[in-house]
Amino acid sequence: MTYLNQIFVMVTRLVLFGLLLSLMSCKSTLEVEGDFPTPVISIIPLNVGIIYEEEFRSYRYIEKNEERDEWEIGIGKSQVKLFNTVLGAMFKSVIVTESEKIMTNISAEVPSTAIGTSIDLFFKPKVEEFQYNVPDETDINMFEVWIKYNMKVYDGQGQLIADWIQTAYGKTPTAFLKSQERALNEAMIIALRDIGAGLSLRFIHIPEINTWLKQRHSTSEITKHYKKNKSHTELITVLLANN
Amino acid sequence: MNFKQATQLIYFLLYVWFTSGCTTVIVDEVKHQASTLNVKESIVVIGRRSGSDYETEPELISCIGSVLGQGENGINVIPENAFVDRLYPWFEARTAPTHIKGLHRLISYDKIAEIIDDYNVHYIVWVDGNTEKTRGSGSISCGISATGVACFGFGTWDNSAEYEASIWDYRTKTFVGKVSSIAEGTSYMPAIVVPIPLIAPVQADACKAMGIQLQNFFQIE
Repeated sequence: MTYLNQIFVMVTRLVLFGLLLSLMSCKSTLEVEGDFPTPVISIIPLNVGIIYEEEFRSYRYIEKNEERDEWEIGIGKSQVKLFNTVLGAMFKSVIVTESEKIMTNISAEVPSTAIGTSIDLFFKPKVEEFQYNVPDETDINMFEVWIKYNMKVYDGQGQLIADWIQTAYGKTPTAFLKSQERALNEAMIIALRDIGAGLSLRFIHIPEINTWLKQRHSTSEITKHYKKNKSHTELITVLLANN
Repeated sequence: MNFKQATQLIYFLLYVWFTSGCTTVIVDEVKHQASTLNVKESIVVIGRRSGSDYETEPELISCIGSVLGQGENGINVIPENAFVDRLYPWFEARTAPTHIKGLHRLISYDKIAEIIDDYNVHYIVWVDGNTEKTRGSGSISCGISATGVACFGFGTWDNSAEYEASIWDYRTKTFVGKVSSIAEGTSYMPAIVVPIPLIAPVQADACKAMGIQLQNFFQIE
């Protein structure tokens, strides 16, 4: 009986030790999921092609800092969904172009198959940097996410028009019985909404794009568009000035 | 109700009484003008999310909304998510109007005005604040042995909830008034083998107090 007891105690200890070990080496994986609303904005009468590099489509952040908890965060699908929704509402028509076939003599960025088509602009987003904080790492009880995007816009011939950096920020407070993954997912969705808001409201105010639009103005229907939606354009200008 | 059911009810009430910490709530109201609300009209309660080191909790906003909708004087409240989503990107943390002038400018854009009119919104209530732990002391230590997990010790902490609601009249584009709700409470957790949390429902009490005060703020016609 004593012998059996000793075996039982040993097995229990081993199980507890194994459980502790598995908890210590636990890796958190998050595939960001969420829906994005369609922006209420005036449509810019342009045909736009979106170029998503494979790196962008399948972007995953893997925490390599050994002093932090192990996290693997998949953003690719959600950010593609966000850009499709936002750009789809911003422009008259939007197509997603394949980026495998690259034309080298005009631009290394725009697919050759798309050059010379009825596309007015090509839009290419890229994740430059990703950062996050969990509540244990800061004084505040919140999950925070920063994403730095590099946006590039090319004309129909593949010439670079604008190249700018836009940042997204999202935070969500911790809540009782809410898992870390769920809280970080919410912060991610807020950050993606933030980039969508910034892009849809600031796009025509990017100096290079504004200049390019003005050059097209005189002859195109864009002039009519801006006259018709004057209040919207003025509103964005005022809001941007206030912020 | 038989004797057994009555005994169970008494035990349950005693359990709730013993397992709840104490909360003190202070509610304040400032009203600049009359705030009548037609039964067919709606209000929307939105959380301010522009603070750098805190965020108005979404669950607090939905809690206030449900308190406002209760009782004989229940008000029709548009859910925050539905309103903000439909007006995306104009009511996001970085784009939402912070002053009544901003609202003026916003509704000069016809599409936005149409959507708000579609909801039949009369008042927009902006809630700003959060609940945080202000003090904590004591310690609880737990040990794992072959016989199981056992804890021993005593912990206590204070929570403070401070919320302020600014009420805007969408019809007249004016600032109507403010309602504030401050709740403070101490929670305890004695542990003798098993930890027993005696939680002070600070946020829930602040929400309830603000919801009731807001309900009385509007004169239903």
